[in-house]
Amino acid sequence: MAKELVINPQRCIGCTTCALTCSITYGEDFNLNRAFVQILKDDRKGLFSIAFSSACKGCKKCAEVCPSGALRTIEVADKPKEGQ
Amino acid sequence: MNGYAGKLLDIDLSTATIQEKILDEQLARKYLSGLGFNAEILYRELQPGIDPLGPENILVFNVGVMVGTNIPTASRIEASAKSPLTGRFGTTNSGNYWGSELKFAGYDGVIVRGRAEKPTYVLIRDEEVKFLDGGHLWGKDCWEAIDLIRADHRDPEIQVALIGPAGENLVRFASIENGYYDAWARTGLGAVMGSKNLKAIAVRGTGSVKVAHKREFLSAVDETRRAIVSSPFFGAFSKFGSMLATGPYHEFGALPGRNFQTGYLPTWWETRGRPQVPKFSKRGVGCIACNIACAHWAEVKEGPFAGLKMKDLEVTPVFAFGAQCDIEDLSVVVKATEVCQRLGMDLVSAGSSVAFAMELVQRGILTRDDLGFELPWGEVEGSLQLLEDIALRKGVGAVLAEGTGRAGEKIAGAMDCAMTVKGLEIPMYDPRGRWSTWTLGFLTNLRGGDHLRSRNPVENLKYNENIEPYRTEKFGFDLKLYEQLDMPAAVKEDIFTAPAGEVNVAKMAKWAEDLLALYNSLGICIRPPVLQQVGPTLMAKLYTTLTGWEITPEEMIQAGERIWNLQKLFNLREGEARSEHVFPERFYRVPLPEGPAAGRVLDRERVEAALDEYFQARGWDPATTGPGTEKLQELGLRQ
Repeated sequence: MAKELVINPQRCIGCTTCALTCSITYGEDFNLNRAFVQILKDDRKGLFSIAFSSACKGCKKCAEVCPSGALRTIEVADKPKEGQ
Repeated sequence: MNGYAGKLLDIDLSTATIQEKILDEQLARKYLSGLGFNAEILYRELQPGIDPLGPENILVFNVGVMVGTNIPTASRIEASAKSPLTGRFGTTNSGNYWGSELKFAGYDGVIVRGRAEKPTYVLIRDEEVKFLDGGHLWGKDCWEAIDLIRADHRDPEIQVALIGPAGENLVRFASIENGYYDAWARTGLGAVMGSKNLKAIAVRGTGSVKVAHKREFLSAVDETRRAIVSSPFFGAFSKFGSMLATGPYHEFGALPGRNFQTGYLPTWWETRGRPQVPKFSKRGVGCIACNIACAHWAEVKEGPFAGLKMKDLEVTPVFAFGAQCDIEDLSVVVKATEVCQRLGMDLVSAGSSVAFAMELVQRGILTRDDLGFELPWGEVEGSLQLLEDIALRKGVGAVLAEGTGRAGEKIAGAMDCAMTVKGLEIPMYDPRGRWSTWTLGFLTNLRGGDHLRSRNPVENLKYNENIEPYRTEKFGFDLKLYEQLDMPAAVKEDIFTAPAGEVNVAKMAKWAEDLLALYNSLGICIRPPVLQQVGPTLMAKLYTTLTGWEITPEEMIQAGERIWNLQKLFNLREGEARSEHVFPERFYRVPLPEGPAAGRVLDRERVEAALDEYFQARGWDPATTGPGTEKLQELGLRQ
């Protein structure tokens, strides 16, 4: 079974734990600009959007630490390999 | 530096000069950050007796060292100055995103001195720090001003600490708002900012926070996250937020109903209780790094305020406007919250001021002619009008803008209706209806009558009867929680009666105050699931791995005690006396008239005995309330 990321920005609480964790996982310090995931805030409306960089490694650490279910993983059947 | 940005920004508005100060390692180790830094700076730099609204007052913001990392709930910033409301150490804590932006911009804190010639705002964008003309912002409400600042710089992510019209007009309980919906609210620091002609400090940072021992640090963060989630309070708190407290105080008959004239409001639970939360809110909103999201996004769906949307149906305004003013409709409480946020006023003192005026109307001391409108209990339009009048200092509002203590002295026959301790309006609940660590904390709190600096981390709101009234409060959780509680064994034995049946209130108050001083000095949140689970051991582990500077759990809790004592020294220097540790006379003399706590008054002698026991536990002289030489030496506070 493989894990796939499910994104539900409506559940995002804006905590940015995903991006903080991403930046320290792939770098030596906390830096939101170097994270592969970004939380864009419309704090007047309490709405948040989630954007991934094309450099994202796909480790899904962000979903592991997301407290709200805005980012989560589901198990999916392995994709058949090409030619099979 | 690791954890710390390593610099403080020192701004003098009188000379329009900016200095960067390198953080001193010895001071950082001794006072940690946040509240600790504020106390150290203000105690060292302010002369006693200064006018809190004069240019000589200093306003300090210090961000917790843990902010900017992924430590759960690490978002908090402490703001402090000499309070124009209490004349003592004014201090207040807030979360949201301002602190992390400041850390990422490269600063642990901002020190604001002097007074600008004309309305000004300060922009901090990484290393760029500018004084900007605030003329177009002056007079604007906080929400409008944030929009304008963001438009000025074409950056919707700029975080803004700012004052509204109340701060500009030197209302003594004006807040500093933190973005649209959060605030440094208590003790009137918005008026200090207003007196300096400073409308806002806008911040944007793109830098880094460094970590000393990454692997060990991340393991401590995981441990912290697991601990918070394992709290028995976690699920309910995420679901209902602080509105959880609407139940117990109703059941105890300890509501602050009608300006503390009754502890019992018959329709409370159906109209203003926790079951109302889902009618307004379906989702949580958090501060940076929060894994609880106690704030709820609230939407008013019907009635005159339909369409109003904002962060947070929070319990404090529900008690202030819902109970103290007896306004039944929670959508009005949401509206009053919005009005206070826009005008920049502390919701507790503002609600208390409206309730104070309502009681004066009830007693015939204030009339419709004085006010210009009707103001019976539960009045909606009059309450909202009065809030605006206070912020703009119009009519009776100008008197109320001085705070209920001063207004009580000014208006003949009104003093008995001012519900303050040490000049600060009391929030939340009536000590006649429930005595606890929290209640004693209303008296011992260094900022006055307030509920946020002395909280028993294992308070059990199921119980209200104690074996030794005034001395103990019932614990009643299972022993596992007692055993897990992060507290040195000797302290635990001293505070809890075996087998953890009761808690000694005075000793727990000391522990809780030192612990909360640490939270406010490290930048983590005091919400119950954290307070219960994150003690000195975990804090020391997080601090050591983040900064690389070794600290033991014992040294950690002692730092909390040091920081509490330093604030006390500030207050003593301003003349604080034992006689100020007193509730409004009503609590000792007038029995609660109805409900489960009907007939109860406070026993003055037993309150005084609880205070004696507290001062003794603190190593303070019960007569002067001051720490002795031995205590000061032990804490490294005597040079």
